[in-house]
Amino acid sequence: MHIVGSNKKRIWLARILFLLPVSLLFFFFFIYPFLFTLYTSLTQWRGIGAMKFNGLANYGKLLADATFRKALKNNVVWALSQGFIQVPLACLVAMILVRKPRFWKALRTAYYLPNVISTVALAMVWVAIYNVKGPLNAILHALFGVEKLNWLGNPDVALFAVIFQTVIYIGYFMIILLAAAMNIPRSYYEAAEIDGAGTFRQEWHITLPMLRGTLVTTMTLAMAYGMRHFESTFLMTGGGPAYATTTMGIDLYLKMDALRYSEASTVGVILILMGTVVISLIRILFGTSDPMSETAQ
Amino acid sequence: MEKRKTILSGTLHLLKWILLLFLLSLALLPIVWLMISSLRTNLELQTSPFGWPRQFQWVNYSKALHMASLPRLLLNSVTVAALAVLINTLATSMASFILAREFFKGRDVLYTIFTAGVLIPVISFMVPYFSLITKSGLYNTLTALVLVYASVNIPVSIFLVTAFMKSIPKELEEAAIIDGCGFFKRFSTIILPLSRSGIVTAATFCFIYSWNEFVMAMLLTSSIESRTVQLGIKFFTSQFITDYAGMYAAVVITIIPSVVGYVLLHNKIIGGLTAGGVKG
Repeated sequence: MHIVGSNKKRIWLARILFLLPVSLLFFFFFIYPFLFTLYTSLTQWRGIGAMKFNGLANYGKLLADATFRKALKNNVVWALSQGFIQVPLACLVAMILVRKPRFWKALRTAYYLPNVISTVALAMVWVAIYNVKGPLNAILHALFGVEKLNWLGNPDVALFAVIFQTVIYIGYFMIILLAAAMNIPRSYYEAAEIDGAGTFRQEWHITLPMLRGTLVTTMTLAMAYGMRHFESTFLMTGGGPAYATTTMGIDLYLKMDALRYSEASTVGVILILMGTVVISLIRILFGTSDPMSETAQ
Repeated sequence: MEKRKTILSGTLHLLKWILLLFLLSLALLPIVWLMISSLRTNLELQTSPFGWPRQFQWVNYSKALHMASLPRLLLNSVTVAALAVLINTLATSMASFILAREFFKGRDVLYTIFTAGVLIPVISFMVPYFSLITKSGLYNTLTALVLVYASVNIPVSIFLVTAFMKSIPKELEEAAIIDGCGFFKRFSTIILPLSRSGIVTAATFCFIYSWNEFVMAMLLTSSIESRTVQLGIKFFTSQFITDYAGMYAAVVITIIPSVVGYVLLHNKIIGGLTAGGVKG
């Protein structure tokens, strides 16, 4: 009995030892930052000195803040465009590739490639593409006689331009949707074929309903990523011109840079809330399971 | 009727390939453009941003390696990425072993907490990370980046490695227990070797993230001693101000590791992505 007891203790000790490294890192880089952000958002603090408790004043201030409101609006545009343009496009490509046209494996590999290249390098390329003297203007001018635009410098089109370039990332959602589409039993299609259903009806009545769960997952994910967008816009326009392309992430960064730490933290809390609330709401509405089944950037 | 059908399917076929090839060119264009630009002269680049070099300017590459602090930046990036991957995979495979192969109350709650980290946008942690790193005296050190990158990837790695370890049949372990294998031996001689594939997938994601990361590197470092290539190509462009061709050569050098890694390991990456997606 005594031996069993001490053995049990030893097993527990080993378990704790094995969980310790991850737990420590997770505490310092997820739990503590979360609580810190939450608390800081309720104080007045400029990075040095004591934090002064301030209640919800920062939240009120933020709602009246024109740049934050602009950022919030842009984030909603971002989220919707990612969820309702990028994912459907990815789904269309997945529906084509699942029928295994020639080179489908190579295409799948190529479509994902931009996802492993640094945003810094890609942003540099897009800045050149969107340049007044760049190829996009040259093509549009030659084909449609469109006047040359400063895509990233014109507040009317800059947001469109920074969002459009995300089309190169569809490979991520496409791969997830393609894998799900490949799991649909071929017999369903064979049965539909015998019943005389054409390609379109097969896609509409078999593929799309069968992909429903995965579609909800990828759309949720796309919207959550749209919500937290920062890097490529920051690198291409810095949020300008005249805050036309700013996002909550950029707003947070600029506020922090101006030593307005409390307000920056408040933006952070709203960012976390919006992301998690959007995800949870969609999951409850559509009843999909396992919120953790998404991986990787 | 038959004829109309062939015309229709022919048109569809054409449209399908137009779409596929358009997206393919969008996906490959950035790399191709960077490679071509890195081989042109500055005069050519100024005349038009797109065009074929009259003569390949390989000298741009040697200029890039000499003029910029590129070798130092590359060394920093390699160090940071390697250490972050090492810490991340070591820590998460140990934890995943417990989360996948041991049974106790609260295990699933713990798993949910760790993996739920993926729901949090890390950019919302700019203020606390900056404050934490400054207070602990790690500002402007490679250690700061190593710790952040290893930690930020915990949710993804735990998810991938735990899923992999859970798929190992119980019988294998039971046989070992009967043979008198203890806790540590079960981990090191059975579960760890069998999970190699899952761990490599997690490591690949962690490496690509660490190599490409920009925001935290910008926030937590300030000088050449601890900056990574991503910051280098963004902020040390002043060194290149008259030499765009050299800058593009530098950019090509910095994307080589991730592209080569992807080409070699793309099956693992695609497998890792779908391991998550299909379940949802």
